[in-house]
Amino acid sequence: MDDATLQNKVEKFLFTEARLLDSGDFSAWLELYAPDGIYWMPSQPGQTDAKTVASIIYEDHPILSIRVQRLFEARALVLTPMPETVHMLSNIEVEDAGEDGLVRAEATFICIQYQANEQKIFSGRQRFDLLPEGDSFRIRLKRVDLLNAGGTLPLITIPF
Amino acid sequence: MEQQEAITVDDIRDLVRPHQVHRRAYADPEVFQLEMERIFGRMWIYLAHESQLRKPGAFFRTRLAGTEVLVTRHTDGEVYVLHNRCPHRGARMCMVDRGNSRLLNCPYHAWSFRPDGTLSTVPHKQSYPESFDMEAPENQMQRVRNVESYRGFIFATLNETPVPLTEQLGEMTDIIDNLLARAPEGEVEISESYFTLEYKGNWKLHLENAADIFHPTFVHSSSVGAAKRAPQNASRLDSDQTRTMLEANGFGIDQWEGIRLNGLPNGHSYMSNFYSKGVLVDQTEDPVMTEYKKRMVAAYGEEKAADILSVDRFNNIIYPNMILNAQHQQMRITIPLAHDRTLIRVQCFRLKGAPDEMFERAIRFLSTLASPASMIFSDDVEMLERCQAGLDRDDTPWLDFSRGLDIDRTDETGSVSGVASEMPMRVQFKAWVEMMTQEVA
Ligand code: FES
Ligand SMILES: [Fe+2]
Repeated sequence: MDDATLQNKVEKFLFTEARLLDSGDFSAWLELYAPDGIYWMPSQPGQTDAKTVASIIYEDHPILSIRVQRLFEARALVLTPMPETVHMLSNIEVEDAGEDGLVRAEATFICIQYQANEQKIFSGRQRFDLLPEGDSFRIRLKRVDLLNAGGTLPLITIPF
Repeated sequence: MEQQEAITVDDIRDLVRPHQVHRRAYADPEVFQLEMERIFGRMWIYLAHESQLRKPGAFFRTRLAGTEVLVTRHTDGEVYVLHNRCPHRGARMCMVDRGNSRLLNCPYHAWSFRPDGTLSTVPHKQSYPESFDMEAPENQMQRVRNVESYRGFIFATLNETPVPLTEQLGEMTDIIDNLLARAPEGEVEISESYFTLEYKGNWKLHLENAADIFHPTFVHSSSVGAAKRAPQNASRLDSDQTRTMLEANGFGIDQWEGIRLNGLPNGHSYMSNFYSKGVLVDQTEDPVMTEYKKRMVAAYGEEKAADILSVDRFNNIIYPNMILNAQHQQMRITIPLAHDRTLIRVQCFRLKGAPDEMFERAIRFLSTLASPASMIFSDDVEMLERCQAGLDRDDTPWLDFSRGLDIDRTDETGSVSGVASEMPMRVQFKAWVEMMTQEVA
């Protein structure tokens, strides 16, 4: 596949993920993850270890699906009213599959959340290990490095 | 304009009734100022753990009452607590939370200080007058005079004539001892990683919530429900720990009446028989636990090891700002910023000599319970903020803390025990009134 086609395919995939989050379609969002896929939001800038260093989120598919279930629970207090989000991705860079068959991508992001008359802004960098599947991908690893990781953080409800 | 009268001792006393507290205790900035003076300014306040200050020059930045301070390790091995402000013209010195530096340099005119706060050099010394004394107290970084460590936990107080630290801690030293004893080598290290969360609410709300056994059923129902319906042992990351922890907050009448609450003098309290089903992993057939117990027995002998591990005390609230969970190796610190703004710092411990996996589980416990994205704590914090919003905006004066009032039992030492009770909050407010009504330290 030529570079432009791959770039285009990856961008399309990442934008789909962002749109599913924005539209609250969390079940479909979870489907983008491989069964052994991991969502990782480190607590420290440059963190390399998720076992002995605490992470904001370090979850595989089964735990993520609990997270998604909770997003649908009527009594989730921090989700009433449900936050509205805009996920924006930019500066997307794609690296063709290496020997492990994974396509790597990086992007910067801004996520604006609106809830109960208040807006919050989150931003940072996202890194993906993508497993090609049919005409699209599944996420093997998504790493979200918040700009303010390690600082004083507000509550995080909708994933980025 | 009418001059507002300063708040009096009688005003403070009037805010707390046996079963009620006035909203002013949470919503009045003047009350908060007095708390900073008489509680956070007079009591011993936990600041840092010695394992964060291993090498000379290591420092950790935190707050003591209204002041930003640096806790430092000097070249002679002593720990110092310094105001984070340059004595020259007042610049805030250190802009990071932790680090290591043999000299603390002020960026403005480059005065530099040793880790004990003493002035080391000033550039272009010849332009200072002859009377300028490098050793004069006003040219040193200001020190907090009273600093003490209880077994590695560093406390300081702005009080010039404090009670001994161990007197203030009272029986709560037992739980620090127990945490250390849970390490086969008898020592703990605090995790380097931690979370700092800010919530829009009064500091007391967090302490009350930590002693509140009624809210989990309601506040955490969304994560309990999701965890209950999820398949067991599905995750490959954590032996089902996250799911089990989420599910464990589904309290019913068994927990309401089965968790024992213990209130002590000085505002301290703890619970026993909490999470009685276990939340780490199924411990009966767990190789990590088996190896750990083996090492404990080797270190202490069968009987003593069993004693240490049988201590079942959850959410040990060391008044006014520390919540310790020895059996889960966890600690939370409350740092008040304003009457309606508070920081919570959550950390965990490594038990020296225990299998590495014990620390990895503590790290997961920390994330699951108290990360900013926690499915548990985020709902707690949401409630703390909603309480503050109600208390700030509505002037209905009284809050109710009456539950259990008729069934608590007080023994001759002044300790109170109860079940299904709001007694820990009453114990906190008893200490609060005692401290807040002392006009002189
Ligand atoms: S203010 Fe620090 S050196 Fe002048
Ligand atoms: Fe809670």
